[in-house]
Amino acid sequence: MSTNTVIDVDGLDVTYGDFRAVKDLSFQVEQGELYALLGTNGAGKTSTLEVVEGHREATSGTVRVLGSSPRDRSAVRPRVGIMLQESGFSADLTVAESTRLVGRLTGREDSVERVLGLVDLTHHADTRVGQLSGGEKRRLDFATAVYGSPELLFLDEPTTGLDIQSRDSLWATVQQLREEGTTVVLTTHYLEEAQQRADRIGLMHRGTFRRQGTVSELTRALPAAIQFSLPPDAPAPPTGSVAQADRSYAIETFELQRDLKQLLDWADAHRIELDGLSAAPTRLDDVFRAIGADSITS
Amino acid sequence: MLPIAQGELVQLFRNRAVLVTSLLMPVAVAAFFIGYRDVFATIGSLGYVAAVLVFTIAAFSLYATTVTTLAARRQNLFLKRLRSTAASDATILAGLVLPISAIALVQVGLILGVFAAVGGGPADAVLLVPAILATFVMMLALGVATAGVTNSPEHAQVTALPLSLGVIAVASWVGITGTESLAPLKRALPGGAATELVVDAWNGGAPLTDSLLLLVPTLAWVVVAVAIASRMFRWEPRT
Repeated sequence: MSTNTVIDVDGLDVTYGDFRAVKDLSFQVEQGELYALLGTNGAGKTSTLEVVEGHREATSGTVRVLGSSPRDRSAVRPRVGIMLQESGFSADLTVAESTRLVGRLTGREDSVERVLGLVDLTHHADTRVGQLSGGEKRRLDFATAVYGSPELLFLDEPTTGLDIQSRDSLWATVQQLREEGTTVVLTTHYLEEAQQRADRIGLMHRGTFRRQGTVSELTRALPAAIQFSLPPDAPAPPTGSVAQADRSYAIETFELQRDLKQLLDWADAHRIELDGLSAAPTRLDDVFRAIGADSITS
Repeated sequence: MLPIAQGELVQLFRNRAVLVTSLLMPVAVAAFFIGYRDVFATIGSLGYVAAVLVFTIAAFSLYATTVTTLAARRQNLFLKRLRSTAASDATILAGLVLPISAIALVQVGLILGVFAAVGGGPADAVLLVPAILATFVMMLALGVATAGVTNSPEHAQVTALPLSLGVIAVASWVGITGTESLAPLKRALPGGAATELVVDAWNGGAPLTDSLLLLVPTLAWVVVAVAIASRMFRWEPRT
């Protein structure tokens, strides 16, 4: 474990009766990183997150957060902000009262007005939480998580139910915190968010990691695809092309740039126009689907 | 703890249903017993009326409200929210029950004060204090325990009823019939010895050593209730 390691999980197991939800999971998150913990449904990421946040005890294995056990709330929580998946606010308290209450209990210093301003809820400060929309409750949740600019921020499905402006605003605040050195652990079902924002991603399936690394490391496991159609009088396509319906072809490649160039050179040499030409790098969605279908194993 | 207690107090006064259960209903019942104190005194004694007043407030203002409040806070994940902060479990629980307990203590003080003013005061006010405090701690702990098996505020109307009515029944049985017969059984029931203490303190005449001995089963029930609460209380809703 390096001195910059913020989260250190080693051999984590979480079981419920006979069911082993998390199996021998190990990973580290370094200071300043945005680490995305993604997984298929029932992969064990919620159990993992709950242990790392300190909400649940590990069945076995060790978990250290900022050098302490995550169960040691007085040591860890003043340095950690948690945005839960579900709001958990009292419907009878106002937005300002809820923020003040949770903020004071974090042990960090900040102003209610500042954090409500960050999430554009200042005009709702005196509104009872029960009268807020789902998206506004998520923003309130985010406001309490970033109260006092924590060193480590857990974001559990942060943008679910948010409109595009609120999403942009939330990510702008996260970016600002990261520039100040905050480490972020993200779980989300929006894979494009993880692909755009995460430094590293852990992909879980059936209680363990199937892949872990940067987006380019993860997508390197699957080939990119080139697709095109040929006119009826065209000669046979280059080697590696797989015929689809209606004279359409696909090339799966781990060398997208090289093979695309070869295809274009071939078309140029034969004076052929490639209809519907598309070349797409492997996306996180493709890796995710492959893991879900068990075509990628750990 | 104080920010949680402050938030809880605000929620209590904004929720009409809880306000009626915890404030108005016990006051209405107390007014009935005080109004008909002479009738009840002939059935038992003025000490019996005092004991029923204490247990009515303990059962409804304190116990039932504790069950309802904790079940509601767990159901809407407010407990999980509080546990995502630096506050310890003990601090959270203490903060949640502090306003309920304080309101119940003020209620019992005021109601017994009115009862003393219209019907005559207790013979030994000092003895009343440990009896009431022990009863309240026991009922509070039993409230925390019952909240562990209560899924929602609506469910609390079912789960809190047996013990609420049970302790008032015990108080009435002991207060009306005394402990000349079946004394070990009556004193072993939850609230039984505490009722006898309140009756003795109000009516007077009992030797101090006898009264002090009643503190043993009274405090034993406090210990039992706290032990049950620590085993039964759940922080997370059942999934």
